[in-house]
Amino acid sequence: MKFRNIFVYWRTILRVAEITLRHQWNDSFILFSILVQPMIIAVLALFMLRGLGGDYAMFVVVGSGLTGLWSSLLFISGNSINGERWQGTLESLVSTPTPFEVIVFGKNLANVIQSLLSMTASYLLASLLFGYTLQLVAPLLFIGSVLLSIFAFISFGLIIAPLFIMYRGIQQWQNAMEFPVYILAGFLFPIAMLPGWTTPISYILPPYWAARALHETSTGGADLEKIMLAWGMMLFFSVIDLLIASRLFKVMLYKARVDATLETE
Amino acid sequence: MRVITNNLRLFWRGTLLSYVALFAWLRPTTYAASKILMPLAQILFFSILGSYGTGGSNVDFYVIGNAIQIAAVSGIFGVTMSIGGDRWAGTLPYLFGTPANRLMMFFGRAFMHIIDGAFGVVIALGWGALLFGVDFSQTNLSALGLTVIITTISTCGLGLLMGCLSLLTANVMFVNNTVYFLLLIFSGANIALDTLPNWMQGFSQVLPLTRGIAASRALIAGGSFAEVSPLLVNEIGIGLAYGWLGYLLFKWFEYQAKRKGTLETV
Repeated sequence: MKFRNIFVYWRTILRVAEITLRHQWNDSFILFSILVQPMIIAVLALFMLRGLGGDYAMFVVVGSGLTGLWSSLLFISGNSINGERWQGTLESLVSTPTPFEVIVFGKNLANVIQSLLSMTASYLLASLLFGYTLQLVAPLLFIGSVLLSIFAFISFGLIIAPLFIMYRGIQQWQNAMEFPVYILAGFLFPIAMLPGWTTPISYILPPYWAARALHETSTGGADLEKIMLAWGMMLFFSVIDLLIASRLFKVMLYKARVDATLETE
Repeated sequence: MRVITNNLRLFWRGTLLSYVALFAWLRPTTYAASKILMPLAQILFFSILGSYGTGGSNVDFYVIGNAIQIAAVSGIFGVTMSIGGDRWAGTLPYLFGTPANRLMMFFGRAFMHIIDGAFGVVIALGWGALLFGVDFSQTNLSALGLTVIITTISTCGLGLLMGCLSLLTANVMFVNNTVYFLLLIFSGANIALDTLPNWMQGFSQVLPLTRGIAASRALIAGGSFAEVSPLLVNEIGIGLAYGWLGYLLFKWFEYQAKRKGTLETV
Protein backbone atom coordinates (compact mmCIF):
# COMPACT_ATOMS: atom_id res chain seq x y z
CA MET A 1 0.00 0.00 0.00
CA LYS A 2 1.29 3.43 -0.90
CA PHE A 3 2.01 5.40 2.26
CA ARG A 4 0.48 8.61 0.85
CA ASN A 5 -2.84 6.82 0.27
CA ILE A 6 -3.39 6.94 4.01
CA PHE A 7 -3.50 10.75 3.79
CA VAL A 8 -5.24 11.01 0.42
CA TYR A 9 -8.05 8.67 1.45
CA TRP A 10 -8.26 9.50 5.16
CA ARG A 11 -11.99 10.20 4.96
CA THR A 12 -12.66 6.86 3.30
CA ILE A 13 -10.54 5.08 5.89
CA LEU A 14 -12.46 6.68 8.74
CA ARG A 15 -15.83 5.94 7.14
CA VAL A 16 -14.90 2.30 6.49
CA ALA A 17 -13.68 2.03 10.10
CA GLU A 18 -16.96 3.49 11.38
CA ILE A 19 -19.12 1.12 9.33
CA THR A 20 -16.95 -1.84 10.31
CA LEU A 21 -17.28 -0.95 13.99
CA ARG A 22 -21.06 -0.66 13.74
CA HIS A 23 -21.28 -3.89 11.82
CA GLN A 24 -19.00 -5.92 14.07
CA TRP A 25 -20.46 -4.80 17.34
CA ASN A 26 -23.27 -7.31 16.85
CA ASP A 27 -20.93 -10.23 16.17
CA SER A 28 -20.64 -12.45 19.22
CA PHE A 29 -17.37 -14.04 18.04
CA ILE A 30 -15.79 -10.61 17.90
CA LEU A 31 -17.04 -9.82 21.39
CA PHE A 32 -15.47 -13.08 22.52
CA SER A 33 -12.12 -12.29 20.89
CA ILE A 34 -11.81 -8.75 22.16
CA LEU A 35 -13.52 -8.98 25.54
CA VAL A 36 -14.14 -12.45 26.94
CA GLN A 37 -10.95 -14.26 25.97
CA PRO A 38 -8.54 -11.49 27.07
CA MET A 39 -10.42 -11.15 30.37
CA ILE A 40 -10.19 -14.89 31.03
CA ILE A 41 -6.49 -14.82 30.17
CA ALA A 42 -6.12 -11.84 32.52
CA VAL A 43 -7.80 -13.77 35.37
CA LEU A 44 -5.55 -16.77 34.72
CA ALA A 45 -2.42 -14.64 34.62
CA LEU A 46 -3.42 -12.67 37.72
CA PHE A 47 -3.63 -15.94 39.63
CA MET A 48 -0.58 -17.55 38.02
CA LEU A 49 1.78 -14.59 38.32
CA ARG A 50 0.81 -13.32 41.75
CA GLY A 51 4.02 -14.74 43.17
CA LEU A 52 5.95 -12.12 41.22
CA GLY A 53 4.72 -9.27 43.42
CA GLY A 54 5.36 -5.64 42.54
CA ASP A 55 3.30 -4.15 39.75
CA TYR A 56 2.64 -7.47 38.06
CA ALA A 57 -1.09 -6.67 37.78
CA MET A 58 -0.39 -3.80 35.37
CA PHE A 59 1.92 -6.12 33.43
CA VAL A 60 -0.96 -8.62 33.17
CA VAL A 61 -3.41 -5.91 32.09
CA VAL A 62 -1.14 -4.84 29.23
CA GLY A 63 -0.17 -8.40 28.29
CA SER A 64 -3.71 -9.77 28.23
CA GLY A 65 -4.83 -6.71 26.26
CA LEU A 66 -2.16 -7.53 23.69
CA THR A 67 -3.51 -11.08 23.40
CA GLY A 68 -6.86 -9.55 22.46
CA LEU A 69 -5.15 -7.35 19.87
CA TRP A 70 -3.38 -10.29 18.26
CA SER A 71 -6.40 -12.63 18.30
CA SER A 72 -8.50 -9.91 16.75
CA LEU A 73 -5.88 -9.25 14.08
CA LEU A 74 -5.51 -12.94 13.30
CA PHE A 75 -9.16 -13.91 13.17
CA ILE A 76 -11.00 -10.71 12.31
CA SER A 77 -8.53 -8.79 10.15
CA GLY A 78 -7.27 -12.06 8.71
CA ASN A 79 -10.78 -12.79 7.47
CA SER A 80 -11.62 -9.22 6.50
CA ILE A 81 -11.46 -9.91 2.74
CA ASN A 82 -13.11 -13.31 3.07
CA GLY A 83 -15.86 -11.67 5.12
CA GLU A 84 -16.75 -9.39 2.18
CA ARG A 85 -16.71 -12.41 -0.11
CA TRP A 86 -19.15 -14.28 2.12
CA GLN A 87 -21.47 -11.26 2.17
CA GLY A 88 -21.28 -10.84 -1.58
CA THR A 89 -19.85 -7.30 -1.36
CA LEU A 90 -16.33 -8.07 -2.52
CA GLU A 91 -16.96 -7.44 -6.21
CA SER A 92 -18.46 -4.01 -5.53
CA LEU A 93 -15.58 -3.03 -3.28
CA VAL A 94 -12.93 -4.14 -5.76
CA SER A 95 -14.61 -2.28 -8.61
CA THR A 96 -14.74 1.11 -6.81
CA PRO A 97 -12.08 3.69 -7.76
CA THR A 98 -10.78 3.66 -4.16
CA PRO A 99 -7.79 1.31 -3.86
CA PHE A 100 -8.93 -1.92 -2.23
CA GLU A 101 -6.08 -1.89 0.29
CA VAL A 102 -7.32 1.46 1.59
CA ILE A 103 -10.65 -0.19 2.41
CA VAL A 104 -8.92 -3.08 4.18
CA PHE A 105 -6.76 -0.53 6.04
CA GLY A 106 -9.95 1.11 7.33
CA LYS A 107 -11.35 -2.26 8.38
CA ASN A 108 -8.13 -3.12 10.19
CA LEU A 109 -8.17 0.29 11.89
CA ALA A 110 -11.61 -0.52 13.30
CA ASN A 111 -10.50 -3.99 14.38
CA VAL A 112 -7.41 -2.77 16.16
CA ILE A 113 -9.16 0.16 17.83
CA GLN A 114 -12.00 -2.03 19.11
CA SER A 115 -9.40 -4.52 20.32
CA LEU A 116 -8.02 -1.87 22.64
CA LEU A 117 -11.16 -2.58 24.63
CA SER A 118 -9.35 -5.76 25.70
CA MET A 119 -6.88 -3.68 27.67
CA THR A 120 -9.61 -1.50 29.13
CA ALA A 121 -11.64 -4.54 30.15
CA SER A 122 -8.60 -6.18 31.76
CA TYR A 123 -7.82 -2.90 33.54
CA LEU A 124 -11.33 -2.71 34.98
CA LEU A 125 -11.21 -6.37 35.93
CA ALA A 126 -7.91 -6.04 37.79
CA SER A 127 -8.84 -2.80 39.53
CA LEU A 128 -12.51 -3.34 40.34
CA LEU A 129 -12.77 -7.09 40.82
CA PHE A 130 -9.30 -7.85 42.16
CA GLY A 131 -8.81 -4.49 43.87
CA TYR A 132 -5.38 -3.69 42.45
CA THR A 133 -4.13 -0.12 42.31
CA LEU A 134 -2.88 0.29 38.77
CA GLN A 135 -0.52 3.00 37.66
CA LEU A 136 1.37 3.65 34.47
CA VAL A 137 5.06 4.45 34.82
CA ALA A 138 5.07 6.88 31.91
CA PRO A 139 1.51 7.72 30.75
CA LEU A 140 2.46 9.97 27.82
CA LEU A 141 5.00 7.54 26.46
CA PHE A 142 2.46 4.77 26.95
CA ILE A 143 -0.07 6.65 24.81
CA GLY A 144 2.62 7.12 22.16
CA SER A 145 3.34 3.39 22.30
CA VAL A 146 -0.36 2.58 21.93
CA LEU A 147 -0.65 4.79 18.83
CA LEU A 148 2.40 3.27 17.19
CA SER A 149 1.22 -0.21 18.12
CA ILE A 150 -2.09 0.48 16.40
CA PHE A 151 -0.25 1.47 13.24
CA ALA A 152 2.07 -1.54 13.43
CA PHE A 153 -0.80 -3.98 13.96
CA ILE A 154 -2.86 -2.49 11.11
CA SER A 155 0.10 -2.74 8.73
CA PHE A 156 0.79 -6.32 9.80
CA GLY A 157 -2.90 -7.14 9.27
CA LEU A 158 -2.63 -5.84 5.69
CA ILE A 159 -0.24 -8.70 4.95
CA ILE A 160 -2.27 -11.39 6.69
CA ALA A 161 -5.59 -10.76 4.91
CA PRO A 162 -4.37 -11.19 1.29
CA LEU A 163 -2.10 -14.07 2.32
CA PHE A 164 -5.08 -15.93 3.76
CA ILE A 165 -7.00 -15.35 0.53
CA MET A 166 -4.25 -16.37 -1.87
CA TYR A 167 -2.79 -19.25 0.07
CA ARG A 168 -5.61 -21.18 1.72
CA GLY A 169 -3.01 -23.60 3.06
CA ILE A 170 -1.79 -20.85 5.42
CA GLN A 171 -5.27 -20.02 6.64
CA GLN A 172 -5.83 -23.63 7.61
CA TRP A 173 -3.23 -23.09 10.33
CA GLN A 174 -5.03 -20.01 11.63
CA ASN A 175 -6.24 -21.70 14.84
CA ALA A 176 -2.72 -22.84 15.63
CA MET A 177 -1.20 -19.37 15.14
CA GLU A 178 -2.83 -17.72 18.14
CA PHE A 179 -0.78 -18.96 21.10
CA PRO A 180 2.64 -19.05 19.32
CA VAL A 181 2.55 -15.26 18.90
CA TYR A 182 1.47 -14.83 22.55
CA ILE A 183 4.62 -16.79 23.37
CA LEU A 184 7.09 -15.36 20.85
CA ALA A 185 6.03 -11.74 21.34
CA GLY A 186 6.46 -11.94 25.11
CA PHE A 187 3.00 -10.64 25.93
CA LEU A 188 2.89 -12.17 29.43
CA PHE A 189 6.43 -13.34 30.09
CA PRO A 190 9.85 -12.22 28.85
CA ILE A 191 11.19 -13.99 25.77
CA ALA A 192 14.29 -14.76 27.83
CA MET A 193 12.23 -17.71 29.11
CA LEU A 194 12.38 -19.22 25.60
CA PRO A 195 15.25 -21.06 23.91
CA GLY A 196 17.78 -18.72 22.27
CA TRP A 197 16.99 -19.87 18.71
CA THR A 198 13.49 -18.36 18.95
CA THR A 199 14.78 -14.82 19.65
CA PRO A 200 15.32 -13.85 15.97
CA ILE A 201 11.75 -14.95 15.23
CA SER A 202 10.50 -12.66 18.01
CA TYR A 203 12.53 -9.77 16.60
CA ILE A 204 10.79 -9.90 13.23
CA LEU A 205 7.31 -9.83 14.78
CA PRO A 206 5.81 -6.32 15.11
CA PRO A 207 3.69 -7.52 18.12
CA TYR A 208 6.95 -8.22 19.97
CA TRP A 209 8.09 -4.59 19.60
CA ALA A 210 4.63 -3.39 20.55
CA ALA A 211 4.76 -5.52 23.71
CA ARG A 212 8.23 -4.21 24.53
CA ALA A 213 7.17 -0.59 24.15
CA LEU A 214 3.93 -1.03 26.10
CA HIS A 215 5.49 -3.00 28.96
CA GLU A 216 8.45 -0.63 29.21
CA THR A 217 6.17 2.43 29.45
CA SER A 218 3.64 0.83 31.79
CA THR A 219 5.65 -1.28 34.25
CA GLY A 220 9.27 -1.10 33.10
CA GLY A 221 11.93 1.47 33.80
CA ALA A 222 10.64 3.83 31.08
CA ASP A 223 14.15 3.74 29.63
CA LEU A 224 13.96 6.21 26.74
CA GLU A 225 16.58 4.37 24.71
CA LYS A 226 14.66 1.09 24.88
CA ILE A 227 11.39 2.82 24.09
CA MET A 228 12.84 4.62 21.07
CA LEU A 229 14.28 1.35 19.79
CA ALA A 230 10.86 -0.33 20.07
CA TRP A 231 9.13 2.63 18.42
CA GLY A 232 11.72 2.69 15.64
CA MET A 233 11.33 -1.03 15.00
CA MET A 234 7.54 -0.70 14.90
CA LEU A 235 7.82 2.10 12.33
CA PHE A 236 10.39 0.15 10.34
CA PHE A 237 8.24 -2.98 10.22
CA SER A 238 5.13 -0.96 9.44
CA VAL A 239 6.80 0.52 6.35
CA ILE A 240 8.07 -2.92 5.28
CA ASP A 241 4.61 -4.41 5.87
CA LEU A 242 2.93 -1.68 3.81
CA LEU A 243 5.34 -2.29 0.93
CA ILE A 244 4.77 -6.04 1.03
CA ALA A 245 1.01 -5.52 1.36
CA SER A 246 1.00 -3.25 -1.70
CA ARG A 247 2.58 -6.02 -3.76
CA LEU A 248 0.31 -8.70 -2.28
CA PHE A 249 -2.85 -6.74 -3.05
CA LYS A 250 -1.72 -6.17 -6.65
CA VAL A 251 -1.00 -9.87 -7.13
CA MET A 252 -4.24 -10.88 -5.41
CA LEU A 253 -6.44 -8.60 -7.54
CA TYR A 254 -4.59 -9.48 -10.74
CA LYS A 255 -4.97 -13.18 -9.99
CA ALA A 256 -8.64 -12.75 -9.13
CA ARG A 257 -9.29 -10.96 -12.46
CA VAL A 258 -7.30 -13.41 -14.58
CA ASP A 259 -8.68 -16.54 -12.91
CA ALA A 260 -12.13 -15.03 -12.22
CA THR A 261 -11.90 -16.32 -8.68
CA LEU A 262 -13.15 -13.27 -6.82
CA GLU A 263 -16.33 -14.96 -5.70
CA THR A 264 -15.20 -18.54 -5.56
CA GLU A 265 -13.85 -20.40 -2.57
CA MET B 1 -32.97 -59.01 20.09
CA ARG B 2 -33.79 -57.45 16.72
CA VAL B 3 -34.54 -54.11 18.39
CA ILE B 4 -31.18 -54.16 20.13
CA THR B 5 -29.37 -55.01 16.88
CA ASN B 6 -31.19 -52.23 15.04
CA ASN B 7 -30.39 -49.73 17.76
CA LEU B 8 -26.74 -50.71 17.81
CA ARG B 9 -26.61 -50.39 14.04
CA LEU B 10 -28.22 -46.96 14.29
CA PHE B 11 -25.75 -45.96 17.00
CA TRP B 12 -22.77 -47.02 14.89
CA ARG B 13 -24.04 -45.52 11.62
CA GLY B 14 -24.88 -42.24 13.34
CA THR B 15 -21.52 -42.22 15.07
CA LEU B 16 -19.59 -42.77 11.89
CA LEU B 17 -21.57 -40.51 9.59
CA SER B 18 -21.73 -37.54 11.94
CA TYR B 19 -17.96 -37.75 12.41
CA VAL B 20 -17.21 -38.17 8.71
CA ALA B 21 -19.59 -35.30 7.94
CA LEU B 22 -17.35 -32.97 9.91
CA PHE B 23 -14.73 -33.38 7.22
CA ALA B 24 -17.10 -32.11 4.56
CA TRP B 25 -15.95 -28.67 5.64
CA LEU B 26 -13.09 -29.37 8.06
CA ARG B 27 -9.96 -29.86 5.97
CA PRO B 28 -7.41 -32.45 7.09
CA THR B 29 -4.76 -29.75 7.54
CA THR B 30 -7.05 -27.71 9.78
CA TYR B 31 -7.78 -30.86 11.73
CA ALA B 32 -4.05 -31.59 12.10
CA ALA B 33 -3.45 -27.99 13.18
CA SER B 34 -6.07 -28.24 15.91
CA LYS B 35 -4.97 -31.73 16.93
CA ILE B 36 -1.20 -31.39 17.00
CA LEU B 37 -0.06 -27.77 16.91
CA MET B 38 -2.80 -26.03 18.87
CA PRO B 39 -2.40 -28.34 21.92
CA LEU B 40 1.35 -27.88 21.76
CA ALA B 41 1.01 -24.10 21.62
CA GLN B 42 -1.48 -24.06 24.51
CA ILE B 43 0.71 -26.30 26.67
CA LEU B 44 3.78 -24.20 25.89
CA PHE B 45 2.07 -20.91 26.64
CA PHE B 46 0.54 -21.86 29.98
CA SER B 47 3.52 -23.94 31.12
CA ILE B 48 5.98 -21.12 30.44
CA LEU B 49 3.58 -18.64 32.06
CA GLY B 50 3.27 -20.88 35.12
CA SER B 51 6.98 -21.42 35.17
CA TYR B 52 7.54 -17.64 35.07
CA GLY B 53 5.10 -17.15 37.95
CA THR B 54 6.58 -19.85 40.15
CA GLY B 55 10.23 -19.33 39.34
CA GLY B 56 10.54 -22.53 37.32
CA SER B 57 9.19 -24.96 39.86
CA ASN B 58 6.30 -27.36 39.30
CA VAL B 59 6.15 -27.15 35.50
CA ASP B 60 4.62 -30.64 35.42
CA PHE B 61 1.52 -29.20 37.11
CA TYR B 62 0.81 -26.98 34.10
CA VAL B 63 1.90 -29.47 31.45
CA ILE B 64 -0.35 -32.26 32.75
CA GLY B 65 -3.27 -29.92 33.47
CA ASN B 66 -3.27 -28.47 29.98
CA ALA B 67 -2.65 -31.81 28.29
CA ILE B 68 -5.75 -33.31 29.91
CA GLN B 69 -7.74 -30.14 29.26
CA ILE B 70 -7.15 -30.72 25.53
CA ALA B 71 -9.95 -33.33 25.80
CA ALA B 72 -12.28 -30.32 25.68
CA VAL B 73 -11.29 -29.57 22.05
CA SER B 74 -13.06 -32.72 20.84
CA GLY B 75 -15.46 -32.89 23.78
CA ILE B 76 -16.89 -29.42 23.36
CA PHE B 77 -16.16 -28.22 19.83
CA GLY B 78 -16.33 -31.59 18.08
CA VAL B 79 -19.50 -32.85 19.74
CA THR B 80 -21.26 -29.50 19.35
CA MET B 81 -20.47 -29.43 15.65
CA SER B 82 -21.70 -32.99 15.22
CA ILE B 83 -25.06 -32.14 16.78
CA GLY B 84 -25.41 -28.60 15.42
CA GLY B 85 -24.21 -29.77 12.00
CA ASP B 86 -27.60 -31.34 11.31
CA ARG B 87 -29.22 -27.96 11.62
CA TRP B 88 -26.67 -26.15 9.42
CA ALA B 89 -26.83 -28.90 6.80
CA GLY B 90 -30.64 -28.86 6.80
CA THR B 91 -30.89 -32.55 7.74
CA LEU B 92 -32.60 -31.97 11.08
CA PRO B 93 -36.18 -32.30 9.71
CA TYR B 94 -35.30 -35.70 8.17
CA LEU B 95 -33.74 -36.79 11.44
CA PHE B 96 -36.80 -35.84 13.45
CA GLY B 97 -39.00 -37.41 10.81
CA THR B 98 -37.55 -40.87 11.39
CA PRO B 99 -38.84 -43.29 14.03
CA ALA B 100 -35.19 -43.92 15.07
CA ASN B 101 -34.33 -44.29 18.74
CA ARG B 102 -33.41 -40.80 19.90
CA LEU B 103 -31.16 -41.98 22.71
CA MET B 104 -28.96 -43.97 20.32
CA MET B 105 -29.00 -41.18 17.79
CA PHE B 106 -28.05 -38.57 20.38
CA PHE B 107 -25.28 -40.36 22.26
CA GLY B 108 -23.91 -41.78 19.01
CA ARG B 109 -22.91 -38.23 18.06
CA ALA B 110 -20.31 -38.20 20.85
CA PHE B 111 -18.76 -41.64 20.45
CA MET B 112 -16.05 -40.90 17.86
CA HIS B 113 -15.15 -37.71 19.69
CA ILE B 114 -14.35 -39.73 22.80
CA ILE B 115 -11.77 -41.72 20.84
CA ASP B 116 -10.60 -38.62 19.02
CA GLY B 117 -10.36 -36.59 22.23
CA ALA B 118 -8.47 -39.31 24.09
CA PHE B 119 -6.06 -39.51 21.15
CA GLY B 120 -5.56 -35.73 21.39
CA VAL B 121 -4.73 -36.02 25.11
CA VAL B 122 -2.19 -38.77 24.37
CA ILE B 123 -0.52 -36.51 21.80
CA ALA B 124 -0.52 -33.65 24.31
CA LEU B 125 1.01 -35.84 27.05
CA GLY B 126 3.58 -36.95 24.47
CA TRP B 127 4.51 -33.29 23.91
CA GLY B 128 4.82 -32.94 27.68
CA ALA B 129 7.25 -35.86 27.90
CA LEU B 130 9.23 -34.75 24.88
CA LEU B 131 9.55 -31.02 25.59
CA PHE B 132 9.16 -30.72 29.35
CA GLY B 133 10.49 -34.11 30.42
CA VAL B 134 7.33 -35.18 32.25
CA ASP B 135 8.33 -38.45 33.91
CA PHE B 136 5.99 -41.39 33.44
CA SER B 137 8.32 -43.97 35.00
CA GLN B 138 6.25 -44.18 38.21
CA THR B 139 2.93 -44.09 36.37
CA ASN B 140 0.40 -46.87 36.17
CA LEU B 141 -0.14 -46.38 32.44
CA SER B 142 -3.29 -48.47 32.13
CA ALA B 143 -4.89 -46.49 34.98
CA LEU B 144 -3.81 -43.27 33.28
CA GLY B 145 -5.31 -44.52 30.01
CA LEU B 146 -8.60 -45.23 31.74
CA THR B 147 -8.50 -41.80 33.38
CA VAL B 148 -7.99 -40.14 30.01
CA ILE B 149 -10.94 -42.03 28.52
CA ILE B 150 -13.20 -41.26 31.48
CA THR B 151 -12.25 -37.59 31.42
CA THR B 152 -12.91 -37.41 27.69
CA ILE B 153 -16.31 -39.10 28.17
CA SER B 154 -17.28 -36.61 30.86
CA THR B 155 -16.13 -33.66 28.71
CA CYS B 156 -18.16 -35.05 25.80
CA GLY B 157 -21.14 -35.12 28.19
CA LEU B 158 -20.80 -31.37 28.57
CA GLY B 159 -20.35 -31.17 24.79
CA LEU B 160 -23.68 -32.93 24.26
CA LEU B 161 -25.38 -30.30 26.38
CA MET B 162 -23.60 -27.51 24.50
CA GLY B 163 -24.54 -29.18 21.22
CA CYS B 164 -28.20 -28.90 22.13
CA LEU B 165 -27.70 -25.22 22.81
CA SER B 166 -26.50 -24.95 19.22
CA LEU B 167 -30.00 -25.98 18.19
CA LEU B 168 -31.43 -23.07 20.19
CA THR B 169 -29.01 -20.24 19.52
CA ALA B 170 -26.92 -18.92 16.66
CA ASN B 171 -24.24 -17.78 19.10
CA VAL B 172 -23.09 -21.22 20.06
CA MET B 173 -19.45 -20.61 19.08
CA PHE B 174 -19.40 -17.71 21.52
CA VAL B 175 -20.74 -20.00 24.27
CA ASN B 176 -18.39 -22.86 23.32
CA ASN B 177 -15.28 -20.70 23.25
CA THR B 178 -16.23 -19.11 26.56
CA VAL B 179 -16.80 -22.49 28.20
CA TYR B 180 -13.51 -23.83 26.80
CA PHE B 181 -11.55 -20.90 28.22
CA LEU B 182 -13.44 -20.92 31.53
CA LEU B 183 -12.40 -24.56 31.94
CA LEU B 184 -8.78 -23.36 31.84
CA ILE B 185 -9.51 -21.46 35.07
CA PHE B 186 -12.02 -23.64 36.87
CA SER B 187 -10.82 -27.16 36.04
CA GLY B 188 -7.59 -26.64 37.94
CA ALA B 189 -5.54 -27.03 34.76
CA ASN B 190 -3.57 -23.88 35.52
CA ILE B 191 -4.46 -22.81 39.04
CA ALA B 192 -4.34 -25.00 42.12
CA LEU B 193 -7.97 -25.24 43.21
CA ASP B 194 -7.23 -24.65 46.89
CA THR B 195 -5.88 -21.20 46.04
CA LEU B 196 -9.16 -20.14 44.44
CA PRO B 197 -11.91 -18.33 46.38
CA ASN B 198 -14.56 -20.65 47.87
CA TRP B 199 -17.24 -19.87 45.30
CA MET B 200 -14.83 -20.70 42.49
CA GLN B 201 -13.85 -23.97 44.17
CA GLY B 202 -17.53 -24.86 44.49
CA PHE B 203 -18.10 -24.19 40.81
CA SER B 204 -15.06 -26.33 39.89
CA GLN B 205 -16.62 -29.30 41.61
CA VAL B 206 -19.62 -29.40 39.28
CA LEU B 207 -17.52 -29.32 36.12
CA PRO B 208 -16.09 -32.19 34.10
CA LEU B 209 -12.28 -32.32 33.85
CA THR B 210 -11.64 -31.13 37.42
CA ARG B 211 -11.37 -34.62 38.90
CA GLY B 212 -9.86 -36.09 35.75
CA ILE B 213 -6.99 -33.61 35.89
CA ALA B 214 -6.47 -34.23 39.62
CA ALA B 215 -6.48 -38.01 39.06
CA SER B 216 -4.00 -37.76 36.17
CA ARG B 217 -1.61 -35.66 38.23
CA ALA B 218 -1.83 -38.17 41.09
CA LEU B 219 -1.24 -41.15 38.79
CA ILE B 220 1.71 -39.56 37.00
CA ALA B 221 3.24 -38.74 40.39
CA GLY B 222 3.07 -42.46 41.22
CA GLY B 223 -0.33 -42.72 42.87
CA SER B 224 -2.28 -45.96 42.71
CA PHE B 225 -5.52 -46.65 40.88
CA ALA B 226 -7.29 -47.27 44.22
CA GLU B 227 -6.39 -43.74 45.35
CA VAL B 228 -7.89 -42.08 42.31
CA SER B 229 -10.89 -44.35 41.71
CA PRO B 230 -13.33 -42.21 43.78
CA LEU B 231 -12.34 -39.22 41.64
CA LEU B 232 -12.96 -41.22 38.47
CA VAL B 233 -16.37 -42.43 39.64
CA ASN B 234 -17.41 -38.84 40.30
CA GLU B 235 -15.90 -37.66 37.03
CA ILE B 236 -17.91 -40.10 34.95
CA GLY B 237 -21.01 -39.38 37.02
CA ILE B 238 -20.75 -35.67 36.26
CA GLY B 239 -20.20 -36.37 32.57
CA LEU B 240 -23.23 -38.65 32.36
CA ALA B 241 -25.35 -36.08 34.20
CA TYR B 242 -24.42 -33.41 31.63
CA GLY B 243 -25.05 -35.85 28.80
CA TRP B 244 -28.46 -36.75 30.22
CA LEU B 245 -29.36 -33.07 30.61
CA GLY B 246 -28.36 -32.61 26.99
CA TYR B 247 -30.59 -35.50 25.97
CA LEU B 248 -33.57 -34.01 27.84
CA LEU B 249 -32.93 -30.68 26.14
CA PHE B 250 -32.72 -32.45 22.78
CA LYS B 251 -36.09 -34.12 23.39
CA TRP B 252 -37.59 -30.82 24.54
CA PHE B 253 -36.24 -29.09 21.44
CA GLU B 254 -37.79 -31.74 19.19
CA TYR B 255 -41.11 -31.46 20.98
CA GLN B 256 -41.17 -27.66 20.83
CA ALA B 257 -39.98 -27.56 17.22
CA LYS B 258 -42.72 -29.93 16.11
CA ARG B 259 -45.37 -28.17 18.18
CA LYS B 260 -44.52 -24.64 17.05
CA GLY B 261 -43.12 -25.44 13.60
CA THR B 262 -39.80 -23.82 14.49
CA LEU B 263 -37.47 -26.58 13.34
CA GLU B 264 -35.48 -24.36 11.02
CA THR B 265 -35.45 -21.13 12.97
CA VAL B 266 -32.63 -20.02 15.20
